[in-house]
Amino acid sequence: MTAVIETEGLGKRYRRLWALSECTLSVPAGHVVGLVGPNGAGKSTLLNLAAGLLAPTTGAIEVLGAPPPARPAELAKVGFLAQDAPVYAGLTVAEHLTLGARLNPGWDAEFANRRIDWLGLDSGQQAGQLSGGQRAQLALTLAIGKRPGLLILDEPVASLDPLARREFLEDLMEAIAERELSVVLSSHLMADLERVCDYLIVLVGSRVRVAGPVDELLATHHLLTGPRRDPATLPAGQQVISASHTDRQSTLLVRTSEPVLDPAWTVSAVGLEDMVLAYMRQAAGGGRRRDRLEVQR
Amino acid sequence: MTWLTWRQFRPQAVTALAALAVFAILLGATEPHLASMYATSGVAGCQGGACGAAARNFLLTVSGAYTIVFMLGIACVIVAPALIGVFWGAPLIAREFETGTYRMAWTQSITRARWMAGKLAVPGLAAIALTEGLSLLYGWWAAPIGQAARLAPGSNFPLGMSPFSLLAFDAHGIVPIGYAAFGFTLGVTAGVLIRRAVPAMAVTLVIFAAVQVAVPLAIRPNLFPPAHATQSLAANFSGQQQEGPGGEFSLTVDRLDSQPGAWIYSSHAVNAAGQPAGVMPAACVNPPDGDSMPCLASHGFAVAVTYQPTSRYWPIQWTETGIYLALAALLAGFCYWRVGRRLP
Repeated sequence: MTAVIETEGLGKRYRRLWALSECTLSVPAGHVVGLVGPNGAGKSTLLNLAAGLLAPTTGAIEVLGAPPPARPAELAKVGFLAQDAPVYAGLTVAEHLTLGARLNPGWDAEFANRRIDWLGLDSGQQAGQLSGGQRAQLALTLAIGKRPGLLILDEPVASLDPLARREFLEDLMEAIAERELSVVLSSHLMADLERVCDYLIVLVGSRVRVAGPVDELLATHHLLTGPRRDPATLPAGQQVISASHTDRQSTLLVRTSEPVLDPAWTVSAVGLEDMVLAYMRQAAGGGRRRDRLEVQR
Repeated sequence: MTWLTWRQFRPQAVTALAALAVFAILLGATEPHLASMYATSGVAGCQGGACGAAARNFLLTVSGAYTIVFMLGIACVIVAPALIGVFWGAPLIAREFETGTYRMAWTQSITRARWMAGKLAVPGLAAIALTEGLSLLYGWWAAPIGQAARLAPGSNFPLGMSPFSLLAFDAHGIVPIGYAAFGFTLGVTAGVLIRRAVPAMAVTLVIFAAVQVAVPLAIRPNLFPPAHATQSLAANFSGQQQEGPGGEFSLTVDRLDSQPGAWIYSSHAVNAAGQPAGVMPAACVNPPDGDSMPCLASHGFAVAVTYQPTSRYWPIQWTETGIYLALAALLAGFCYWRVGRRLP
């Protein structure tokens, strides 16, 4: 499995505060990778480091097998949609496309024009007057229009309303469907990523809590319900992610590659969202207050 | 890159061109009348003593509205580099940081160094062209007044008396080029370091104003060593004279008869031996006609003057422009380096 982003002990400090520390992870190629974690987990810092906007304080990071892009040829291979989708408020939609064409030798004008038409954006309108969703779409068009091999989206839907979120992600899937493109997108809400990504990395407090293809994760995580029982007595192959108990009953989320054979348990499937929340809660239980998870929706 | 910079700079460029046009119209509309008055005044071809009177007459006829335009013009040329630094330089990069658009710009397929170079080049050259354009226009308009003011001692145009006059020097020649380049790059540097437009604008204004006060007062006079001359007490002494009851006196001049327009650093009375003098001989105290000058002159008193010759005008212009351009190059280099490397 080749990696599009590979980090080793990566750390980034702003003055005295570590935004990311000792982060070691690998983002595989050929996937739509969801990077999920609570606010403050270091997702944004990690992606900005990968885009070459920031310099790491410690550790190493490789993007497409090389240091983060700095030269034109390297920059051309990485598309980046920054958080809040910044665009030039005074430039029109059409001028943004001109910008893309002028600054990127591999610019796909046909795609960009078609996409703007299809989105129904008025090419003469100033970008500052676009809605949040339209702005994100424009910025995404620029990021894809340069024909990158890796597309990095930093919280692309965080500032959008629920309807715009869904539309944006559907459009994203459509836009990348016919391209040989690896995609990494981050969010603090699993629900955003559930529909689009086929590979998941849960990052809490700079640490990867779980990573893997979505279908594999779903196949190996089970919700066990049964008579109250101490989780420590489970078989060795079953890793307990979360446990809750009533007087008589225990509900456990376990990860195991083996089938659960104990007839005392009622085994049910677990959704991605519950699974991710369980990992976040597990990490938060470790005593780091700033990793408290967000429950906003 | 040039396209993006130019496109982003377009609104400011339009404003600047409009301001330049207003300035040109104001000066262009009044210049023909001013020039015709100068032509009929006889200042141009005057000889010797006739010059002073002709010049003074001319300057009296052009007072009023022309005085206002004269001062306004100087003010425009002097203020332009400060405004450029504050409104073009400081927000140039700071605004990109504030709005987050730097993250879009820096992830296109061009290096940050090139981006920075383009950002500096287009508005920077425009800043220089605009300021020097204002200065040339103004210099063309104000030339007759300057000519006359140099010949008419104590005229109603004190700023025109010498090309070295504090504010006049700053508005003429090539120094506006240096000021514009420095003001602009100072603003850009403040924006790069502070990353917020309004604080960067304030810092730019304060530093630029401080430099523009410090250089004329502390650095410009020391660029070249001054010359010394002794000016005899002619019958029509045009300087300042103070006398005390016991014969204490002092004499100062603000122009050198032998070299109109020279930059006077200081002057004081000297006796026949050339030594500084503060008390006049008893014979000269309280003369019957109240004028002690002829008596002092007959005793060999004179005024010693420390001055910068008019021939030093261009060397000082070039040197000062060079200093400002060097500062601007340093600041531009710093911005280029600072933005070119990844953010710490």
